[in-house]
Amino acid sequence: MKLLIIKLCFVASFFTSGCSSVEPWERGNLAKPEMQISGDAVDDLLLEQVFYSKEAASGGIGAAGGGCGCN
Amino acid sequence: MGSPCQIHVMGEKKTELDEFAEECRQQALGFEKKYSRYRSDSILTKINRSAGKKPTKIDAETFALLNYAQVCYEQSKGFFDITSGVLRNLWNAETVKFPSERDLEEHLNKIGFSKLRFNDKEAFLPINGMELDFGGIVKEYAADALAATARKRNISFGLINLGGDIAIIGPKADGAPWQFGIAHPVIKGRTIATIQLSNGSLTTSGGYERFVEIEGERYSHLLNPKTGVPFKSILSASVIADQAIVAGSITSIALLNEETDGLDWLESCNLPYLAIKKNLECIGSLARNE
Amino acid sequence: MKKINPLVALTGAALALPAIAADQPTSAKLSFLSSTYHEKDIKNSTILSGAGKRYDIEKNQFRLVTPLGENWSGDLYVSQEAMSGASPWGTFDGADDESSLIMSGATIRDKRTQVNLSGRKYNEDSSYGFTLTRSKEDDYSAKGFGVSGEWDLNNKLSTVSAGFSFSDDEIKPVDALKFGRIEKGKKQTRSFAAGWTQIINQNSILFTGISHTVKQGLLSDPYKLRDTRPSKKAEWTLSFKYRQYFENRNAALHADYRLYNDDFGVTSHTAGIAWKKSIGDKLKIAPRFRYYSQSEADFYAFGDNYSLAKTEAQSSDHRLSGFGSTTTGVQISYELGKWSMKMSFDRYSSKNSLGHAESEKEHPALLDFTLWSAGFDLEI
Repeated sequence: MKLLIIKLCFVASFFTSGCSSVEPWERGNLAKPEMQISGDAVDDLLLEQVFYSKEAASGGIGAAGGGCGCN
Repeated sequence: MGSPCQIHVMGEKKTELDEFAEECRQQALGFEKKYSRYRSDSILTKINRSAGKKPTKIDAETFALLNYAQVCYEQSKGFFDITSGVLRNLWNAETVKFPSERDLEEHLNKIGFSKLRFNDKEAFLPINGMELDFGGIVKEYAADALAATARKRNISFGLINLGGDIAIIGPKADGAPWQFGIAHPVIKGRTIATIQLSNGSLTTSGGYERFVEIEGERYSHLLNPKTGVPFKSILSASVIADQAIVAGSITSIALLNEETDGLDWLESCNLPYLAIKKNLECIGSLARNE
Repeated sequence: MKKINPLVALTGAALALPAIAADQPTSAKLSFLSSTYHEKDIKNSTILSGAGKRYDIEKNQFRLVTPLGENWSGDLYVSQEAMSGASPWGTFDGADDESSLIMSGATIRDKRTQVNLSGRKYNEDSSYGFTLTRSKEDDYSAKGFGVSGEWDLNNKLSTVSAGFSFSDDEIKPVDALKFGRIEKGKKQTRSFAAGWTQIINQNSILFTGISHTVKQGLLSDPYKLRDTRPSKKAEWTLSFKYRQYFENRNAALHADYRLYNDDFGVTSHTAGIAWKKSIGDKLKIAPRFRYYSQSEADFYAFGDNYSLAKTEAQSSDHRLSGFGSTTTGVQISYELGKWSMKMSFDRYSSKNSLGHAESEKEHPALLDFTLWSAGFDLEI
């Protein structure tokens, strides 16, 4: 697990220092619904629960958590 | 703001509408107080007076307006420039002859949006004598703000007209759209086209309203910030957009170009428009209804 | 500077103006989705006993998101599903390669209802939310809650998020006495997640997230004839979600990857890719593909060994075997004023050999399924 955390910090610091600034007025495309990190919540929940019942791995869907309540 | 402002609203309770009208008046006066270059206490005057001296603290709204002005500057390839107001000293009602090379050069040195330094906390004009003018932006923004106030108060029928920049609150009380006549650029008091609208915003820019005549040739007040000389642009442009501020800057930019470039610009914006060419030909998707 | 559509640029900047931003229609959205899930039947030759008919599920999902006052939003999610079919009870490792599956004798019918209720408060540079969850079926009930926060940094170029969720589950197997199953079991799940969303440029954005989940209690499958798992499990994930917009194609590329690891010994890779293409103003078509692969759990056994002490961890659950799967699908949506009609189809196929660390033998219960969905979103 140690490895994973280090990797994250690396990625994070890389982007804070290395990114050119994207001004608020240049974020038109990023605001489009198809560019959102979490997509259609209903559709996401459906697939998440289907995969949950078929596969051992789960989680990591979003940061918000909340639990899917499935078994 | 130096232009006639009208508010048409329809509702059932007179007191509610009166309250709204008063709030609108206050809000519009607030914008004027904050952004008028004719008032000594406006933020704009502070920035202009501090030009070449020190940065001026700005608030989030002013920052957002400067952001917006920057997008206009970039999208118009530098022709829409809120620092170009100083050229008014060369081109005004008293102008009788073409400005001299020296005068032009002196003024052009004080122009250039890219020279403005600003972030979310302060703004700074680096050269003494440089000036900002929100003329092409704030009136339209105020129309949007007043329409938003109306909607917040659950007023569903009406429109805001700030000197020709129109933000629709909603259709007429019977559901019918509002009708707007587009002024004929040559014959005073006549309309050249009619536009119907129940929502969104409509703005018109025309170079014919204020112009200078020098040795028989007419020059519009829409000046090229790169040369200091007026454009030979289309006579008028009208655009319908969701926000008055967007419609307003699109029509302004259309006139801050030579005729063919202005028409290309209108076409590239993918909005309903009406343009009147120098030969009085009407083109654009709104040109059909005479 | 890259050329972007003037209207997009101007509108984007206008929406940042306070009086206009505050006026954006924060209307409520109602979503409904109805889905049919169908598992491919198991070949009769591999069944030692029981029914070969696998699961069919009919599912209806309903969601209402609505602004509550100036700074709050509320979110109600309700789903209901009806399942019928048979599930594997165990395996018998035959001498030949054709292994055998012991299926539940009769068709199982069950109904599951889930309700999630969430609230979120939005501040200028942050938001905080909570979720309450409740799920119920004949033999299973779960109660849970979650809290999360998001913070904008560097002029909103970056967003940091963190969340915690807890779930308290109870299982009461049906026919417990008849089949000698455990009468009642409990499970608790605690999950921590943290994420970092970064705007890379005008057209791309990357999410990086980690999560850690601990499950405690009855983790074995009480319906299987011989299934014993440790009573505690710790899971970790590392996820990346990348979005790239292609202006000239009018489309967005989604590329996701998740690394998963748990102390049952399962490591898995999940990679997903989707192409969200707009055709005109109204039509959107999004083909999608997902690849999944997992290694087997340390105590996975292909055939149930009934001579092993019941305290020894052992499971023949196909979900703990080493295998891989692919899911290929497409989602289509069409906008009609305030309505948006949606349809999607996905086809899932799992195989031992698709995995990066396949188990020695293909588990006969590994399955294929199809999933059809249709529904709508409505702005109200």
